[in-house]
Amino acid sequence: MKEFSVKLTTVSVQYRIAREKRRTVQEFMIHLAKGKKIEYEDFLALREITLEVPAGETLGIIGHNGAGKSTLLKVIARVIKPRKGEVCVKGTIAPLIELGAGFDPELTGKENIYLNASILGFSRKEIDKRFDKIVEFSELGEFIHTPLKNYSSGMVSRLGFSIATEVSTDILIIDEILAVGDEHFRKKCDERILSFKKRGTTMLLVSHDMAEIKRLCDRALWLDHGASRMCGDPFAVTDEYLKMQ
Amino acid sequence: MGEALREVLEIVRYRELLRNLVIRDIKVRYKRSVLGFAWVMLNPLFMMLILSLVFSALFKVTVENYTAYVLSGIIFWHFFSQGTSLALLGFTGNSDLLKKVYIPKVVFPLSVIISALINFILSLIPLFAILLITGTGISYYILLLPVGIMLLFIFSFGVSLILSTITVFFKDMIYIYGVLLMAWMYLTPVFYPPTIIPEQYRPLFSLNPLYHFIELFRGCLYLDSPLMYEHLIYGLVFSALALLAGWAFYHRYKDRIVYYL
Repeated sequence: MKEFSVKLTTVSVQYRIAREKRRTVQEFMIHLAKGKKIEYEDFLALREITLEVPAGETLGIIGHNGAGKSTLLKVIARVIKPRKGEVCVKGTIAPLIELGAGFDPELTGKENIYLNASILGFSRKEIDKRFDKIVEFSELGEFIHTPLKNYSSGMVSRLGFSIATEVSTDILIIDEILAVGDEHFRKKCDERILSFKKRGTTMLLVSHDMAEIKRLCDRALWLDHGASRMCGDPFAVTDEYLKMQ
Repeated sequence: MGEALREVLEIVRYRELLRNLVIRDIKVRYKRSVLGFAWVMLNPLFMMLILSLVFSALFKVTVENYTAYVLSGIIFWHFFSQGTSLALLGFTGNSDLLKKVYIPKVVFPLSVIISALINFILSLIPLFAILLITGTGISYYILLLPVGIMLLFIFSFGVSLILSTITVFFKDMIYIYGVLLMAWMYLTPVFYPPTIIPEQYRPLFSLNPLYHFIELFRGCLYLDSPLMYEHLIYGLVFSALALLAGWAFYHRYKDRIVYYL
């Protein structure tokens, strides 16, 4: 097997949900004074996931809502630290989790490119080098000097996709974002993802679109209530998954 | 300790983000107003005008150069209160981002304090103008001013780390701190002279870090203070303590922050 880029060893993530939300000091004090203990409900978002993604692989992640798909991506992207287990990532990561999360509507497209790319940890020089390409791919033209609040939602996601995919990283995380833009832009996105595959970028792709999983992925992981239910050939896994619906 | 060092290196790696956040902060804040950036200087000037009209009758006898006194006080207080109360929202206000992308979280409160610092430095321009116009003059200690500002900056950052971390777990902190700030302002010689404090309360008074910072600030500008070095030493100690305590507190809870956002 080739060298891994992502390796998880028995990773568990536990969200602690207070049965009654007691987040203000006042309520906390009253509760403390009454001598009650705060009751928590532990919710296991991920159960002992062990996973190894070799460099260059495209892994599709499927499962019903709340199965832990996004949590898994967040663990890999270092956004949350798991309660148990170990996460090992080799190389740089760019998350495509919800495009444009870091955009500021008051700033222009150009300013947002710099802001968003720096959120991904890129230096000014690196952004300068790729700026023209980002604008070209996003097809925004003159709109690049317009504040983002005047953009259509399609334009915003085009810009987001262009930034995240133009800054080159070793690992790319894609969370259900390919459903954005018109038919023409979707095709461009697909092409770009395939070109990433050729270049040897490791990709983690969450999708509800089984056709997309089959078309783009080398392997698929089916998450069920936070546990790994099945992992392997994308055709076999998606077929089995669809049977269960 | 090793992990703390790694986080500091991360901040260095994300310096472009820090820069962009500061620029955005300043740009967005004044973009919509007609006078724009001029408000940084006009705001304290108008406050000075009002306060000196109101209080000059009260304190004129005891405070020399009251205009300069009150303006330096306002600018100082504005930096600290604005900076820390905005930095308090550093994590909760950016929850959308922090829940989706890995960012060294410290960048957010730090960027707020930095943009407050830039405003602070710019508002020194009208202050120097007032010092010259009123014939107050400028002290030799002006060479120490960067040190004084640096210490105040470090102190404010340390306080912000604690505040922004607490706010994640206890949202009430937003309101509590508003009240605290109000009390803190009256306990700090912003627009009254410290001499009005009765002798027996002086030792207690000198436990207020901001008392030393504000006196240090004024001493660097124009005020002849016999306690200059005392204030400097207190300032050093308080800023070091605030930074250490703030960092330790943040560091202890940082992995839990995202779970509670």
